[in-house]
Amino acid sequence: MSDASGEEQLLEFLYACPVGLIECDAAGDISLMNPHAMQHLLPLAGPRGADNLFTAFERHAPELRSMAAAHAASTGRVCDGHRIFVDLGRGSRAATRKVLACTMVKLGPNRLMATLADISQQVVQEERLRQADAWFATLLDGVNDYATLTITPEGRIASADPCFTRQTGHDLAWLSGRELTEILDADASGGDLKLDEQLIVADRDGWHLQEGWQQRAGGDRYWCQRLVVARPGREDGTPEGFAVVLRDVPRREEAAEDMRRLLTCDHLTGASNRRHFSQALERERTHWQELRHSLSLVVLDLDHFKAVNDTHGHPVGDLLLCRVAAACAAVLPPRGIFARLGGEEFGALLPRYDQRQALGLAEEMRAAIEALAIETPAGSLRATASLGVATLDEAEGSIDALIALADERLYAAKRAGRNQVFQPHALAA
Amino acid sequence: MAQEEQGFDSITAVDLATMDDAERDALPYGVVGLDPDTTVRTYNATEARMSGLDPATVVGVPFFDAVAQCMNNFLVAQRFEDEAVLDETIPYVLTLRMRPTKVRLRLLKTPDTALSYILIER
Repeated sequence: MSDASGEEQLLEFLYACPVGLIECDAAGDISLMNPHAMQHLLPLAGPRGADNLFTAFERHAPELRSMAAAHAASTGRVCDGHRIFVDLGRGSRAATRKVLACTMVKLGPNRLMATLADISQQVVQEERLRQADAWFATLLDGVNDYATLTITPEGRIASADPCFTRQTGHDLAWLSGRELTEILDADASGGDLKLDEQLIVADRDGWHLQEGWQQRAGGDRYWCQRLVVARPGREDGTPEGFAVVLRDVPRREEAAEDMRRLLTCDHLTGASNRRHFSQALERERTHWQELRHSLSLVVLDLDHFKAVNDTHGHPVGDLLLCRVAAACAAVLPPRGIFARLGGEEFGALLPRYDQRQALGLAEEMRAAIEALAIETPAGSLRATASLGVATLDEAEGSIDALIALADERLYAAKRAGRNQVFQPHALAA
Repeated sequence: MAQEEQGFDSITAVDLATMDDAERDALPYGVVGLDPDTTVRTYNATEARMSGLDPATVVGVPFFDAVAQCMNNFLVAQRFEDEAVLDETIPYVLTLRMRPTKVRLRLLKTPDTALSYILIER
């Protein structure tokens, strides 16, 4: 066999390979790729161009860039079968959703190799299995204690069982055809998903289970497990609706509640502690990634706090910290999480807040702190704070980068004279 | 045939269909002729040089599956499937010899010729 035909055979092999192969440098600039990789990349990249792997995936998998950057070793596996949902949401329900699996290996300090495979069909099969599993689990557990609703793909109630009336107090005849969210309008706290968001996840994964408060027709609340299952239907695997199963779970024991507070709250101020805050960050990052929710972080540091402790003593300093935590918690939205991150540094995590909303809230916090006055034997004590705001979009999905950016802006606010929220230039433009 | 009439932007499917292999090989851009089920029927020398493939092995294979998966999407393959008459030039990126290469594609389809054509200009 001549060299020329050997090379041709190799090229034929690569042209026809049904898996995408890509080699790029650490910055994502592509040096080699086969046609199958281009088949997926070009429609995704659009005007951003397909010559950089990370740029091409900017919209659908911005985490690829940070995962590669976070891989400090000069060689090794960056990710294995990492799933990229190329489109997500109810608008795209009609077609089978496209899911790509990306495996990336670092071959040297400036050399990455990635494979891309279309696993859409595999994901459809997994969904079917999970739907079946979820159904079996509810049946085996005893149906009597469960209230079930069937839901149309548009989110309207198709039917309900008598147990639903017993549990919630809603009349069956009145329910039919109503919007689901109108009936099950639980007040969302923390990172809980709203019902319509649960439907989106159930549509994709087959099911979604969550615990939270639910409201009865009479207005009182009860603690409830809420399972949303997509009902397998049509040939193409798209669900023909959903089933919602509600279970009334007795309230958590008071002792357990105390334990929870002990584990999640700062002992002095009652704000969330650092550990709970970082767990919430991880959870919200997942929502950001899966549901394209915006997520903002405000960091706040009291100005000249050391002087307060030095002049008035630690008890007054502690009192000030408590008053600041209370003032900030008072302006926090229901989904927000306010935490003490260190001595006189606090953070507010704001799910579904974009930069403009977060800057507005930061300004409210600044004003609330400036308005505080604590009477001391040495006279009235006033306080101010400097604040920095960053969004997970700006940080490209990296929690470390989000915190670093917010901190950087906090210190810029300090340098600019304190008692202010740093205004990023993007807004001025 | 005048030189300018054989240019990438002006040549027609009928022109290409009436040329012999040697004439198509002499064109300065790639020419791929596909039959109605998108099997490769002509593959000129210019295209063979750019892709590194021997026309003898390419002719007879399903183009969008075995050679040009990067065009197997709504931007190219779908259009040949959906449209009866096609004459459109689009910027594109191919992976010639596995290197991303910016090209211009001209998609030609008409009921007057048995084959449809894809022209590739680097």
